[in-house]
Amino acid sequence: MKLLIKNLTKTYTNGVKAIDNLNLEIGTGMFGLLGPNGAGKSSLMRTIATLQSPDSGSITFNDINVLEHKIELRKVLGYLPQSFGVYPKMSAQDLLDYFATLKGIASKSDRKKIITKVLEITNLYDVRKKNVAGYSGGMKQRFGIAQLLLNNPKLIIVDEPTAGLDPAERHRFLNVLREVGTNCTVIFSTHIVEDVKELCNEMAILNGGRILKQTTPTEATKELENQIWTKIIKRDELETIEASYNVLSSSYNQDNTLNVRVHELEQPSDDFKLASPQLDDVYFIALKSDQA
Amino acid sequence: MFLTIFKHEINYWLKKPAFYIYIILFFTLSLFTAASSAGIFDFLTITTGSSNIVNSPSGVTGLINGLTVLIFFLFPSIIGASIYRDYKSEIHTILYSYPFSKANYLFAKFFSAVIIVVCILLTISIGLLIGFRLPGTNPDLVGPFSFITYVQSYFVYIIPNVLLFGAIVFAVVTFSRNVTAGFITIILLMLIQGIVSGVLASNEDTRYLAGLLDPYGAEALNYYTRYWTVAEQNEQLLPIKDLIIYNRLLWLSVASLVFGLVYKYFKFSQNALSFSFKKRQPERATKNNFGNIIRVTLPKVAHVYSLKQNLKVTWKLSNIDFKYILKSLPFIAIVLVGFIFTLLNLWEVGQLFGTKTLPVTWRVLANSTGFLGFFIYIITFLYSGTLIHRGKISKINHLTDSTPIHNWVLLVSKFIAIIKIQLALLTMLMVAGICFQTFNGFYDFEIWHYLYELFVLNLVSFIIWTLLSFFVQTLVKNQYLGLFILLLIFIGIPLLSLAGIEQSIYKYNQGPGYSYSDMNGYQGSALHVFFTYKLYWLCIGIVFLISASLFWVRGIPNSFKERLKIAKFRFKGVTAVVFIIFLIGFLSLGATIYYENNIVNTRISAKESEQLSVDWEKTYKTFENAAQPRIVAVNVNMDIYPNERNYRADGTYVMVNKTDQIIDSLFVNYNHETSTLNFDKTNELVTKDTVYNFHIYKLKNALMPGDTLGLTFEVKNRENTFFRRRSPVIKNGTFINNQLFPSFGYNGGRELRDNKTREKYELPPNELRPHPSDSSALGNTYISKDADWIDFEATVSTSEDQIAIAPGYLQKEWVKDGRRYFHYKMDSKILNFYAFNSARYEVKKELWNDVNLEIYYHKGHDYNLDRMMAGMKSSLAYNANEFSSYQHKQARIIEFPRTAGSFAQSFPNTIPFSETIGFIADVNDNEDGGVDYPFAVTAHEIAHQWWAHQVIGADVLGATMLSESMSEYASLKVLEQKHGKHKMRKFLKDALDSYLRSRTFETKRENPLMYNDGQGYIRYQKGSLIFYALSDYIGEENLNNALSKYVEKVKFQEPPYTTSIDMVNYIKAATPDSLQYIIKDMFETVTLYKNRVVSTNSKKLDNGTYEVEIEFEVSKYRNNDLGKRYYGDVAGDTLSYKTASMKRPILSVKLNDYIDIGAFDDDDNEIYLKKHRITKIHNTIKIILDKAPKEVGIDPYNKLIDTNSSDNRKELSN
Repeated sequence: MKLLIKNLTKTYTNGVKAIDNLNLEIGTGMFGLLGPNGAGKSSLMRTIATLQSPDSGSITFNDINVLEHKIELRKVLGYLPQSFGVYPKMSAQDLLDYFATLKGIASKSDRKKIITKVLEITNLYDVRKKNVAGYSGGMKQRFGIAQLLLNNPKLIIVDEPTAGLDPAERHRFLNVLREVGTNCTVIFSTHIVEDVKELCNEMAILNGGRILKQTTPTEATKELENQIWTKIIKRDELETIEASYNVLSSSYNQDNTLNVRVHELEQPSDDFKLASPQLDDVYFIALKSDQA
Repeated sequence: MFLTIFKHEINYWLKKPAFYIYIILFFTLSLFTAASSAGIFDFLTITTGSSNIVNSPSGVTGLINGLTVLIFFLFPSIIGASIYRDYKSEIHTILYSYPFSKANYLFAKFFSAVIIVVCILLTISIGLLIGFRLPGTNPDLVGPFSFITYVQSYFVYIIPNVLLFGAIVFAVVTFSRNVTAGFITIILLMLIQGIVSGVLASNEDTRYLAGLLDPYGAEALNYYTRYWTVAEQNEQLLPIKDLIIYNRLLWLSVASLVFGLVYKYFKFSQNALSFSFKKRQPERATKNNFGNIIRVTLPKVAHVYSLKQNLKVTWKLSNIDFKYILKSLPFIAIVLVGFIFTLLNLWEVGQLFGTKTLPVTWRVLANSTGFLGFFIYIITFLYSGTLIHRGKISKINHLTDSTPIHNWVLLVSKFIAIIKIQLALLTMLMVAGICFQTFNGFYDFEIWHYLYELFVLNLVSFIIWTLLSFFVQTLVKNQYLGLFILLLIFIGIPLLSLAGIEQSIYKYNQGPGYSYSDMNGYQGSALHVFFTYKLYWLCIGIVFLISASLFWVRGIPNSFKERLKIAKFRFKGVTAVVFIIFLIGFLSLGATIYYENNIVNTRISAKESEQLSVDWEKTYKTFENAAQPRIVAVNVNMDIYPNERNYRADGTYVMVNKTDQIIDSLFVNYNHETSTLNFDKTNELVTKDTVYNFHIYKLKNALMPGDTLGLTFEVKNRENTFFRRRSPVIKNGTFINNQLFPSFGYNGGRELRDNKTREKYELPPNELRPHPSDSSALGNTYISKDADWIDFEATVSTSEDQIAIAPGYLQKEWVKDGRRYFHYKMDSKILNFYAFNSARYEVKKELWNDVNLEIYYHKGHDYNLDRMMAGMKSSLAYNANEFSSYQHKQARIIEFPRTAGSFAQSFPNTIPFSETIGFIADVNDNEDGGVDYPFAVTAHEIAHQWWAHQVIGADVLGATMLSESMSEYASLKVLEQKHGKHKMRKFLKDALDSYLRSRTFETKRENPLMYNDGQGYIRYQKGSLIFYALSDYIGEENLNNALSKYVEKVKFQEPPYTTSIDMVNYIKAATPDSLQYIIKDMFETVTLYKNRVVSTNSKKLDNGTYEVEIEFEVSKYRNNDLGKRYYGDVAGDTLSYKTASMKRPILSVKLNDYIDIGAFDDDDNEIYLKKHRITKIHNTIKIILDKAPKEVGIDPYNKLIDTNSSDNRKELSN
């Protein structure tokens, strides 16, 4: 199972180059696409999900030429956009039946069987007769997963699914995704590094329409072994530190002091302690190096 | 804060392209409308000839109001959506926490939107202003610019209407957060307006109410201007009088009230107002999603992507969309109101003299599909946009668009959903129709007829428009702009004819229509041609639908350039093949029709036809007065082939040179090139003109005075083709007359009438007909130019199951070779005016005073046969007693299909009578019922046996007074004898209203009765009013005596023929000196009264009687032929009356008139009625009565012509 993206380019009419000659190869398993807001994640995912045509380039999934044979891809595609709406005054059950029909499940009993199952998986069975339009954010996101599962997809694309979910919802969501993603390709975009760390066996960092780094979370942190240093400083010292070292992140402590993390091959000074590298560090380094 | 929001809103619109698109569209539309009404396209098409000034106050207001109706369709998206936009963009979540007041917010939103609408509206007047004066318009049609006209129509009608309709739409959309509901509201308001003007305004008694209630204000204006003559329309400013002010105030208060309600109930809240009928128990929502790791094993299900499955899905999806619309509140509202509207509409229409027509299916269909059909189109345009953009608006499109469903499945399912909506609305129409029939106790339900007309003939047009609607709505991102564009196309297409685009193949969904007759079904119309055109339009419609699928937005909307690229990419395989097949189908059908209409047959455009009339006159007018022999005997064989729809006839004319001149040239009009003509004298064809079908023969030996000439001819129709039916013969109910046969001499009927048009072609002004005083013009009757009185004999044959009829008495009837023959021979001289009828008839026969009375009717149409029989008897009796004896021993009424017209026509002893008038009338004999018009019309037609077939006027002005007005008079008198005075008043009231309304549409001139040009409203309505009043003034017996002397003198006369002057002289002789003025008022001038009771007072006297004082005004004025008022023939000839409180004096022609003063008791019984001599405008008289009166009046029975007949009576003030 392999998704292959070659030389993909997309420029919007307002001049923004959303995807810039992008090449990517994604195999089975969870693939995390990490990037800040506006990096081009959604554009890329929509393009893979056949909702948008690129200016040039090609996408193939197994032996499907995605840009030529959109319908073929859609048969094996499960897509959950960043945000979506539903028809008003339709219950989860009815809406799922609608989607199941669109996804080619011809027999009524088959539809009923699978709808019951996906409702159970997403823990929506009790509220199946309620209008989806009235669901809370978490429930709606679960509904999104439910509809995605209906065609037993081989390629799953989920665009920032955990944004706005409470911790319990987020956990459950990631677990379900993990379960369904065992035997297929899951592309998972997020700006939350934590998600990728917990879930993905492969990842890429995207910014400005380009892949800055493609790696695995373990590999990526391993590369930074012995290069991340940390120190607690006063707020006033920050500017000096920033000027002298490659500061990756800084965060407040409760006593108004700051925790800074810097990326340096050598220990910057004695008061810096060696820290174990986090995925965040990988992310910030990639973004920073792109700016330079 | 108000200003900030207001400015922001205005800026929003100024930046939007839609605003400029609307401005351009309205500007163009009004420019086009104005310019074409002012004759800019005269070089392309027929000359716009009219005595109406197009930019007169009433003209401008009419045009602006018409165009404003279109603007209403912008309200939902401009005014309605102004607040809704904030919800849609979800900015309300932030905005509503800001510190501004509700008033600021609402007023700023509403008024900024109103300003935007008014800006668009202003472009209408700019468009009109420029349009009227574009180079190429006809300056004769355009008057000077009047600023006040525009100001008035904006401030009195348009802006208040914008506020009213705007406030309502603003309220609906703000609360429902649904722009579609705004559109439905507009449709509902238009329906309500339709009910007000259709039901209330058509009835004299409720006209004031209609004027008050019409939300547009048009009926209020109409209340004052409905009887305005052409001159008044051209010159006068529109009035702003009581009713108009009340109407405007009423609706402005409604607008304020609606806005007040919005203010009261509007909350800066996050949720839309919702209605719920079930009270829900409140529940506490708690989190329950803490389950952790679960195993996901999806059941095995089959995924099917076959074509069959796709079709099944299409159907299923269409049901989901259909139910979505069906269950929506706005749609339910429109169905309910539509249903009520249909019933009300059925109730009113089809009345004649207050009498209804039986609700036969064709009438129910005709009355319900017209107006409501328009709304089905609007609903189609609206909801096709809604369905196409529904996914995007609900933001569910990214989910659905990434499923493996084909574009065509989505598109076609939405298309089918719209068709189902149409089916639902048509079913609603059918149910309403059947309910109406049941309610009226009419149980002859023709279900198949409903089904065929609604679900086949009507539906096909709806489908064709739906196809285009899907294309436009797919292409245009904004569904409301899409709706508007579609409306413009829909309304604009018929207007293309104004610009000279006449052929149906260039105009979407145009083509021949159809009409139904109980006698002949749809056979009268060429349905196969109808369907050919529909097939042609369906082909291009399907091409549009496929184009819609090419441009269908899947996923993210793209720029137009990208959409083109995507469309190109999608244009392949089956799609491309089907597209090309239908395109070829469209082009080849179009080419076939074009070939048929333009190459095989010569198509004559309106412009060319105008030129033909000019050339005809210029070429042949010189022969107008050339002496011709006159037909004295006709013997024809007419073979009618109903199944083949052919006829073939041959015959002989015997002609005599009745002149004292030698005739060597014959000028023959003949039917067409298949006619053969053989004279029994040697001759030579000098000119052969196949354009006008006009031959000139030269006789070798000229015809001496008194000599006889014979003509044998054969006439048949050219062969019928698929596209053309070239004979008037139909399967059942053929009605043809002697125009098929050759005639002699120049025919002036082809000349152009309008003098302005004639001037353009350098033709002298057309006097239409000579004046009756022109003694050289009395040689011909107005019926025929080549004969006086003839002997007539005919053999008519038809298919074996039909009866064929011609004037004369049946001599012999036989069957030969499967055809039935009838030989008719007339025993006395008749006019050269005869017809042939053939159908499967039932016959009702009666013998009355040695006269055979027969009615030939369609099986089932036996509702009113007894009334018609009675009408024949009464009319025969009255005319024979009062004027002269009946010249025949037989009278026959023969029904013919409505497809041939809605009239009855009297031929010698034979009266073809349309199925619509009389046969299916639903007469109510109660006191308050309408006029028994089957009886009255029959009486009128029978009277023609005297008034046309005995007394026939020369072909000069006023000739129709001798036939039509007199027949109307006789019929009125017969009606009065039979049904009494009460029904009489109903008839006369209707005649008065109809006369006064019809004269406002006069485009040439209105002459006095005795010099009339033949307009129906003069010869029928005014004629009946005048003769009825005359008989009241000089006495029926006295009048009839004079008329009978006149008949005695002129009946069956040879030329010179009689004229209206002769008849009026007889009447004059019988009129006392004191009343001689009525001859001038009634016959010689157009005279109208303005009579009114000012005040009344009564007191009981000691002797038990009552003294009643009546203060009243009498004035009369005359109209010239354009309707301009004048008050006297010479200066100083005018009476004038003015009190201090009056702005202008009342003027009048000098009075020495006798006018009824009447008094009535509580039961409307007459307790006093006497003619008083009136010489002043302002009068006060006292009368003594035995009983207490309830009401008194001046001319209380409205015998005189008076534009306001309702102020003639007044209840007593006690």
